[in-house]
Amino acid sequence: MTEADYPQCRIVPLRMLKPDSSEQLLNEIVKISRIRRMMINGPNLPRTVPYGPARGKPNPNTNRRVITVGTSEFELQVQVGSITLEVMDDTVVEEIRALCDAFFAEKNIPYQLQSGRKFMKTQASLTDYTKYGPNVDPAVIGLTDPRKKEGPIIIQGR
Amino acid sequence: MAYKPQYGPGTSTVAENRRRQMNPDVKLEKVRDVTDEDVVLVLGHRAPGSAYPTAHPPLTEQQEPDCPIRKIVEATDGAKAGDRVRYVQFVDSMYNGPSQPYQRTYTECYRFRGIDPGTLSGRQIVECRERDLEAYSKWLIETEMFDPALTSIRGATVHGHSLRLAEDGLMFDMLQRCILGEDGVVRYVKDQIGEPLDREVLVGKPQGDAWTKGKSTIFHSLVGESYRDDEEYVEYIVRVHTLRTKYGFMPKEE
Repeated sequence: MTEADYPQCRIVPLRMLKPDSSEQLLNEIVKISRIRRMMINGPNLPRTVPYGPARGKPNPNTNRRVITVGTSEFELQVQVGSITLEVMDDTVVEEIRALCDAFFAEKNIPYQLQSGRKFMKTQASLTDYTKYGPNVDPAVIGLTDPRKKEGPIIIQGR
Repeated sequence: MAYKPQYGPGTSTVAENRRRQMNPDVKLEKVRDVTDEDVVLVLGHRAPGSAYPTAHPPLTEQQEPDCPIRKIVEATDGAKAGDRVRYVQFVDSMYNGPSQPYQRTYTECYRFRGIDPGTLSGRQIVECRERDLEAYSKWLIETEMFDPALTSIRGATVHGHSLRLAEDGLMFDMLQRCILGEDGVVRYVKDQIGEPLDREVLVGKPQGDAWTKGKSTIFHSLVGESYRDDEEYVEYIVRVHTLRTKYGFMPKEE
């Protein structure tokens, strides 16, 4: 994979965030302009029990709920462990750093902001090819899990 | 007997805690109280108050073969009654969890009878007769082998021991079997396989950083003691690996 054309950064807090905190942080982040793409990573919170004798039964979980970011509503399907962002230029990374410094200081959680150009896929993998076909929009690559039916969520920026 | 078991090497607190847990002469501190019914609910093998289902008739009612071993080894209560074999499985966070899979197996082998432990990288299961299991589980939950935030009873879908802790300090659990109440008490809302319970089972408040650090049996260079700082432990493990590597070449004495 080649390096991405745009700078990227990844926010990694020392604790995995609750939906309330995630919603708060994401809403702060979307106020920053010139963010191209954003990806939330973390361990999955399945709708049904995936293994064991209770397999297939419903899995009520307070961490899996609908959050509103900007004007878009979506269901948080993971416990937020890291947030990867692709931005237009390096000054945006510094804006994000300043925001995170204030946010995590208030929450009393240490965090790391990693920056570079290799946090997202730049080429379609075989799985992407089988899912999206040959003429895929490059902006979609690496954003969503190709096995999932739902596509990426579009958040209208300012 | 001249031989005195040493249980393990090491000069660190972690090593000392490991020896404490393993040594059956040490009475581990009782940290919390749970009722027998609580244990039965979390295990989820039978309804509280119901009779123990049996796998065979009680030993007193059946003819036993003339076996010298049976004369030496007394059967456990569960085996005497003919109980089914059932299991409990624990997961301990790597962030200063009070125990860990190998440690649990060693401890149980030294302290319990009639068990079949299974040791995996992130979880440890122990199987035995049902009424013995309930007594052992109660001990494992009530003593310092358990911390409500960093230890979890998970029969299936165990993922979480190596992940960062959640914001409230609990180990990640995709089935959210236990939750931290507003009063700071951790309560189980699902049994170990993830089926909702009829009532909450309270297992007390998380013990806090100072306690977990002092009682941990896991080396962790970031949040606890580093393995490399315990020279005696490193020397021991180097010796084990040197000897087993040399043995691979089948050395012969001239």
